[in-house]
Formats: sequence, C-alpha cells, structure tokens
Amino acid sequence: MYRTLLLFLFSLSIIYSSTAQQECNININVLVVETHNGRPLYPVVAHIDETGATYTTNEKGRFVIDSLCPGKYTFHFHSAGYEHHAEQVTIGRSTELKFRLAHLEGVMDEVIVSGTKEHGLLQDRDELSSRQVSAQSGKTMADMLQAINGVTIISNGATIAKPVIHGLYGNRIVMLNNGIRQEDQQWGGEHAPNMDPFLTNNLSVIKGAASVKYGTDAIGGVVLAEPSPLRNTHGWDGELNLAGLSNNRMGVASGVVNHNFKDIPALSFRLQGTYKRGGNYRIPGHWVANTGVEEKNYSAAVGWKKLHYGAELFYSHFNTDLGIYRGSHTGNEEDMLAAIRSDSPLVPADFSYQLARPRQHVVHDLLKAKTYIDTRLGVWRATYAFQHNFRQEYDVQRVETDDAQLNLTLNTQTLNLNLEHRQLWKLKGEIGVDGIYQENVMQAGDRVFLPNYRSTGAALYAIERYYGSNWTLEGGLRYDYSWYEAFNPEGRNQEVVRYEYHFNNLSGTLGFTKRLRDDWQLTTTISNAWRSPQANELFSAGLHQGAARIELGNKNLLPERAYNLNIESKKQFGNKLSTDVSVYTQYIRNYIYLEPGADILTIRGYFKVFNYKQTNAHLTGTDLSAAYAWNDKLNTTAKASFLFARDAVRKDWLILMPADRLSLNTTYTTDFSSKLQECFISGDARYIFRQWRIPSNFDAIDYPRPPAGYFLVDLSVGSKVIMGKQPLYISLTAMNIFNQRYRDYLDAFRYFIDQPGTNIVLRLRVPFSFNEHQEH
Amino acid sequence: MKRIQQIAIALITASVIFTACKKETLPNPEPVEQELITTVRLIVTNNAGFNKTFNYKVDNGFGGTTQGNVQIDDVVLAPGTEYNVEVQVWDESKSPAENITEEVIAESHHHLFIFQSNPATGEGSISFSNGSKDDENEPLNQKITFTTGAAGNGSLTVTLKHEPANKNAATPDEAGGETDAQAIFPVKLQ
Repeated sequence: MYRTLLLFLFSLSIIYSSTAQQECNININVLVVETHNGRPLYPVVAHIDETGATYTTNEKGRFVIDSLCPGKYTFHFHSAGYEHHAEQVTIGRSTELKFRLAHLEGVMDEVIVSGTKEHGLLQDRDELSSRQVSAQSGKTMADMLQAINGVTIISNGATIAKPVIHGLYGNRIVMLNNGIRQEDQQWGGEHAPNMDPFLTNNLSVIKGAASVKYGTDAIGGVVLAEPSPLRNTHGWDGELNLAGLSNNRMGVASGVVNHNFKDIPALSFRLQGTYKRGGNYRIPGHWVANTGVEEKNYSAAVGWKKLHYGAELFYSHFNTDLGIYRGSHTGNEEDMLAAIRSDSPLVPADFSYQLARPRQHVVHDLLKAKTYIDTRLGVWRATYAFQHNFRQEYDVQRVETDDAQLNLTLNTQTLNLNLEHRQLWKLKGEIGVDGIYQENVMQAGDRVFLPNYRSTGAALYAIERYYGSNWTLEGGLRYDYSWYEAFNPEGRNQEVVRYEYHFNNLSGTLGFTKRLRDDWQLTTTISNAWRSPQANELFSAGLHQGAARIELGNKNLLPERAYNLNIESKKQFGNKLSTDVSVYTQYIRNYIYLEPGADILTIRGYFKVFNYKQTNAHLTGTDLSAAYAWNDKLNTTAKASFLFARDAVRKDWLILMPADRLSLNTTYTTDFSSKLQECFISGDARYIFRQWRIPSNFDAIDYPRPPAGYFLVDLSVGSKVIMGKQPLYISLTAMNIFNQRYRDYLDAFRYFIDQPGTNIVLRLRVPFSFNEHQEH
Repeated sequence: MKRIQQIAIALITASVIFTACKKETLPNPEPVEQELITTVRLIVTNNAGFNKTFNYKVDNGFGGTTQGNVQIDDVVLAPGTEYNVEVQVWDESKSPAENITEEVIAESHHHLFIFQSNPATGEGSISFSNGSKDDENEPLNQKITFTTGAAGNGSLTVTLKHEPANKNAATPDEAGGETDAQAIFPVKLQ
C-alpha cells in the first residue's frame, strides 16, 4: 500500500505553480533515538516522501516539521552506520513522534543507503515533490522549477526553456540527473536541458555557488532531479500520469512500474517511460509556425541490496524533436527589424503537428553503475556513469536535403568515489574524489560551430559538519584540476590549430545554522564556485541565427570565480503564519559576457559583432515568502523575488537579468464524501515587472527595450476520486486564463511573437499497487 | 575489510586508467561552410552591343569572423537606356568557383531577387520590368530589364530572398523570408 499512500496529498499540490509546500497548521516534534539504549541520535537525515522535505536531527535527536496538513506520511531515516528505517504515520494534529533506529551490527534487516537523500550542504534549498512535478505535467522541466522562489526561465518560445537561478543560467548551473552531472550540450539559449521530469521523485534547487559538493560550474546553483529509492518490500506498484493540453493540443502519457522479488528480496527493478507530443502552440490571435514537439523517453533501474552492501544499475534514454519558430531565424539585421516592427507573426501558420526546418533532434543516454558498502568507518560509494549526447540541428536550406547541418556528439565518463564517514565525536562528513573525461566531436560536413575538443578533470573534496547544541557548523574544501584540448579550424583554409588549457582551482564552503527558538531558524552560508570557459565562449565564430548577430569567442578567457553569501531566516508566527526570508549577494570575478563591437560587412549586409569579454559581476537579491493559514481549509502564500545585477567594473547594470516578480496563491481544500476527497480550488496570480535595470548602452546592443510588465492568472480545480479501492486524481487547470498578451524579457522570441495564450490542461493520475502482504 | 580493500584498489585503478589514458588524436573532420555565397554578379547587355559584368564580392561571404576583402564595382551605365540584366550568385571561395545560381533556379519557387533603386525615379535612378518567372509562374527576377533614368548618381540594391512569404514583393520587408544575399552597388549614369 505504501506507494499508493505516498500520493495521498496529491490534490494539495496539483495546483499549477503552487508553493513549494502547502501550508497547513500542524506542527510535529520528531525525536529519533537508538533502539537499544534510547539515546537521542544525531545527525539523522529524515525524508518525507509526501512533502519531499528533508530534515536533520539536532544534538537532542530532534527536529520540528512546520505547517503540515493532516494526512498519512511516510518517513525515511538515514544515518551512516544505522539501518534505514521507513515508517508510515497518520497525522491529524500537532504532536510528538518518536522513531527508533537500529545499529547495523546484529540487525538482520535490509538497509537502504541513498546517496541522493543526504545533501550535506546547509545551503538555501527548495524542493518540488513528485506530486508537484506530475501536477505540472506537459510543461518543460525549467517551467516547473519556476514554482520555486528565485528560479525563473530563459526561453525560446514555449517549448525550449532553461532554468535561471538568481539570474544565472546555462553553463553556470549544474543539473544532477539521478546523482550524475548532466553533460548535455547547452551552448545557447535554444539548447534546453535533456531530461525527463517524470523520471524524478522530486526536483530541488540549491541556490548560490556550490562547487565543493557539485564540482565546477555550480556558480548559480544546482538543480537536482532525484528518483525515489527502489522498492525494498516485495510486490508491485506503479503509477500512470496522463495530461492533455489545449493550447498546442499536446498529449502526455507517463508510466512507472516498481517491483521487488519475493524470492530474491535483495533484487528490485523499475521501468519507466514517457511519451509527449504537441503541435504548434497558440498565442492570442495566431498560431505559431513550426513549434511542435515530440518526446520519447524511457528508463530502467535494477538494484541489489543486502545488509551491508548493494549495487544499482540505471539506464535512461531521452529523445526529443523540437520545431523552432520559422520566423525567429532571420537573414540579416533588416529582416530582424522587420520582424520586430510587425505586430503579428511574419510567418503565418495553422495548427499542425508537422515539424519543418529549423528543428532540433536531441538524444541523451545515461548509463550509471553504483555500488556501496557500509562499514564501521562509514559508507563507501563508487559511482561510474557514461553519458552520450547527440544533437542534430536542421537549418533552413536552399537545396532540399535530409541532412542535418550540425551533428554534435558529446561523450562523458565520470567516476566518483565517496566515503561518508560515521560520526566521529561531534563531526560528520564525507570525503571523495571525482574524475571526468569528455569528448565533443562534430561530423564531417557540419557547419562551423564548435571545435572538436576533449577534456579530463579530477577533483578531491571533503565536507565536514560539526553539531553543537542547537547549532551546526559546516565546512568544505575542494581542489579541481582540469585539462582541455581543442582543435579549432581557422583562417581561410580552415587549418586546424590545436589549443591546450590547464585550469586548477580551490573552492570552499562555510555554513552556519542556528535554531534561535523552536520556531525560528537562521542559516548563513559562505561558499564559492568556479567555472572554466566553455568551448563556445573560447571559440565560437559565427552567426547567432535567432539574434542576427555574429558572436566571437575569446581564446584568452580566464575561469570565472564566484563568492556567495546567503542569509536565510525561517520563522513561524503561531500556528497561522510562517515566513522564509532569504538574502544573498554574489560576487563573480571574470564574469564572461558578450560586448558589442564593430559592424562587419557580409554578403547579407552588415552584422553587429559581439565579443566574449570578462568583467566582475555583483549580484544581490532577496527571495521572500509568507504562508498564512486562514483555517484548516483555506491557505494563502505570497512570494516576492528581487535581483540587482551589477557590472562592478563599469558600474552599470548587467544585461539579460530576470525582472522582479510577485506571486500570490490561494487554495481552498475540502472533503465532500468518502468517494470525493481532497477537493480543491486554487487561484494563482503573478506579476512580473518590466526590467528597468538595463545597461546604459542597451540601445546599442539590443532592440527594442525590455517588454512591459505583465500580470497572469491561473485557476485550478481538482479532486481525489475513490473508485472501489482505487484512487484517481483528476484536475483541470487554466493557465493564463484571461488570454493575456505579453512578452518576457528573457524569452528570445520576444522580438518576434507573444507568449502563449490560454492553455487548459486536464490531468489524471492513477497510482496502483499490488502487494503480497502488508509491509512495515 | 580485505574485500573492501580489493574493491577500492580496483576502482582507483579503473579511475586512473580512464582519466589518464588519452587517445593520441581526436578525429577532426573538416567543417564545410554551408551554402556559402561570396559574390552577387550582374551581367548587363543590350542590343547595341553593350556587355559588362559588375561584381559585389565579399571574400568571407558569410559566417567569417573578419570582414576580409570587399570588391564592389560601380554600375556605370548610360542614361535613358534599356539593358538586359542577368543576376548570378557565386561561391568564389571554392576553386573552381561554384555557380550558386543553378541551385537558386532549381529551387526557384523558394527564391526571389528584389531590385531597388535609390532614388526610385529621376537622376541616377533605374526602373525594373519584365522580371523572369519561377517554375510556378510567379516572379523570380533572375533575369530582368533595367531602364535607366536621367544622368546622375544613385544606388542599386539587389536582395536574394529565401522562402519569401510574398513572391510579388517590391521590397525585402514586404517579401518576408530570409535574406541569403544583399548587394548594394553604387550607380553612375553618365
């Protein structure tokens, strides 16, 4: 029954773009003790499936869960050297709960050591649970993440989007897919991350620089996509998700099946698949030509778990075809200006599922093998992964051809060895080594885009936490070395010139958290991160079709180094109001950006040239949220996010930074009968300001000025329907209900077309479970 | 413990091998600049035996990172005269040079040449007529008649559009589609 019940609170979070957690008003004091002597245990990491939240006990073995809604919850407890413990609890009112964990030795039971559940960083972190992910099915992963305060998107229309954390995106963000750094080819705004959101149990975001734990590039933050642990009790369970979207007539179907063998209790597996297909989408008054999408993804996992050791094999395949609005590829500056001046799309269209040029085809495969051993010293883990990313771009061609004009392959191998040591005195932590080897190759006859390159890297890191009375101090250090070799065709005869780079860097993190009172927690973290320049920043030499400009790489770029300070206060005021205030400031040395240069004459006319340059950037901002429970059924959450991004050298604003935004969500939830539970109606309103913080030379770089602010309203209703013993979750959501015309500053299509109009989404979720007998 | 040690050694060895062992060469296929145009050429003739060729040539064509050499011929014609004009596009970065005009004609319905004169009338102007048709009998203008105005100086813009939305357009803006080439010739009617 457990998987079924995991989904119990589904309806509360089905709301599109709802808050990261539904605010109800139950407070639970949790105490974790050792089975035999009853002594409090710390640190123990606790995870609740239903909320996706993770907690750590203090030195008294305690932690507090705020603002829970009534319902059934599954708790998981992890502590190195202790048995994994899972337990389901029904919670109806504020209370204290006590859990017992057994020492590994002498306890003949299974153990789960989930490397992904413990994150070892005190840094500002927000999560979306699996229910919140499936409640947004049909959207891009980046779009889903926008529900998290401080996260926005940079997009190319409605189908291609990348997450932006505190103003930073692309190569400045690390995405972890099932614990593995996603190595796909994100060379530009039109290259979205290649991941299936249905693969994950929850999606979470770490805001701010985090290189110590996650390696190079984690300047803006980290996105973690984590599948739930494999089944550890015998039986079957699974889930089917279906969604239909009106705007682009998109259908999404995703299913997952989990099994654990009765006769081989150590063995479990999971099979998962997703299919998604949509046609041209609609902006108020018009269809948008060639914006269809098709996605075919599947994954499989097999796990072998014994008392003190185990192994897991995981494979996932992601396959997408994406159309790109024909009108966004312009021939020269004149064409671009004509498109900007036009009020309606210059390329007229009807509805169609057909994909024409320009389009992209991307395949991403991930194979991961992981093994762990639990010893008296702690838990040892070894993880190897191979990733294959293949990107094809089909340009508009004069002569008819079936060939792609770009066929890029990126192969990456990574290895991680990690020891999470058992608590020593009041110290707990981990040490590890990372290795990476990467190759990027083009195909004969491709258009010039990137040089072939390969790189190798190695790193050594340690993160330790000291647990004091009601406070925790965390420190981490990491040393990275990377070597990089590129073969760049240059000059009139395109002779290949070899370049070699060596980079090394020391990163650190320091965090301090203190529970001032039971209802007030204060966390301060200082961290840093670095990023070596990417191939496109070093070598790019050509036209940016979507922007009608030429971008020129700079072979002398130095690595970026970021220093981040974050202060977060989480405070509860009585039973009704809870607040989360986070203030951050980040200084990035050698921040890489594009500076406009001279015009050059081509056979298509004059083009503006943009050169990759470096400056020092200073990003300061705040994310605020407050949740108020009017009563048991009615909840309101308000959020605000502000960012001030400065060029510290030129004393000017940085270009292309997300505008300030406000949002408000109100949800009413009630049970009508035993057949109709958790019925809800929810309204979501948000206002995005016009970005007025633009560089003083903006008009010379970009045209037109950032679009006006806009106000959007979404409405959602849904319910849990019990048919026999089978629960069904059904919901209907109307996004942009007033069919508002608007453009967003971080959308590359802002020059050409509006954002999508009203989109009505019907979603159905069917969890199922067949167990031989009750567990736990 | 012994087993753990063995496993640890095996893993470390594996990591060293796969990070340290690098291949000597990485295949580096030669990239091809796709569908490059370097030159717009006007071949101007008339019944009186006039026969001249005017080139607008940008060495690096398109996609180059530096401007390269630019050769722009003055279109020197007599005032008040009719000329037969054929426009060609070439890729002269290849040897021998490739005549892209053939590709344009093969896909004639997806292309349009647009001629604009500045000034549109009077001294130094050219007017255009009898443009050739594509395979669906819509304008292509690969061959066209120039009628020169009064003596004076002006300019002539020749634009090759790909996939124009409006095949009867007189300006690139009206045509829509993508600009494949745009040449601006100085005009001298003397």
